[in-house]
Amino acid sequence: MTDYDTLIPLLVENDIEFIIVGGAAATAHGSSRLTLDLDIVYSRKQGNIARIVKALTPLKPYLRGAPIGLPFEWRVETLNKGLNFTLITTLGALDLLGEIVGGGDYEKLHTETIKIEIAGVQCECISLQNLIKVKRAAGRPKDLEVIAELEQILDETRKEN
Amino acid sequence: MEHPSEQLKSIRDLDPVIEAYKKDIDRTLIRENLRLTVTERFQQLMKLQRFAEELRQAGRKVTLPK
Repeated sequence: MTDYDTLIPLLVENDIEFIIVGGAAATAHGSSRLTLDLDIVYSRKQGNIARIVKALTPLKPYLRGAPIGLPFEWRVETLNKGLNFTLITTLGALDLLGEIVGGGDYEKLHTETIKIEIAGVQCECISLQNLIKVKRAAGRPKDLEVIAELEQILDETRKEN
Repeated sequence: MEHPSEQLKSIRDLDPVIEAYKKDIDRTLIRENLRLTVTERFQQLMKLQRFAEELRQAGRKVTLPK
């Protein structure tokens, strides 16, 4: 299980610049579908990368699904050399994404986010309209049903307002 | 690399499939979720994850050869 109630406040309290995307963002917008991880797009600024490394070190991050014993070192240099990391931590599955198809990087996505409150902290989440756009751009068969639900949610929220 | 017009065409090609899925989506569930706070939506998701894990473990017990 991914402990969103602890993981998200931990990121916020460590001043990490991130945007919730993917299935967790769909949940935030009202989706009832099961997702198992937390996908975030993070700022690639050096200070932010250093804060991510420091904040997550106690959670013992490791590459999800990789055999135990790989020479994976959780360091600033490791994050600098890569872009997207699918991790397992002691608080659950966390995907650190430098950029996403159809949405770009943190700086680009940052212009189309909303503020949400979860477990007593405020953080940024991709807007529903942008989430639909990103899912459509990715064009993955597994997302088609998700897009259908997100568009229904958009329809319902428009009716409410 | 795919030309932008080709990309747009392939996105439009998805629409009939998406529309077909919409017919089966339970709007009452969406309305229920929209009444919850974001924190409550995540708490519900975590409950669902725990339940899915219990089901997986139960399934493993049933299917493991003795």
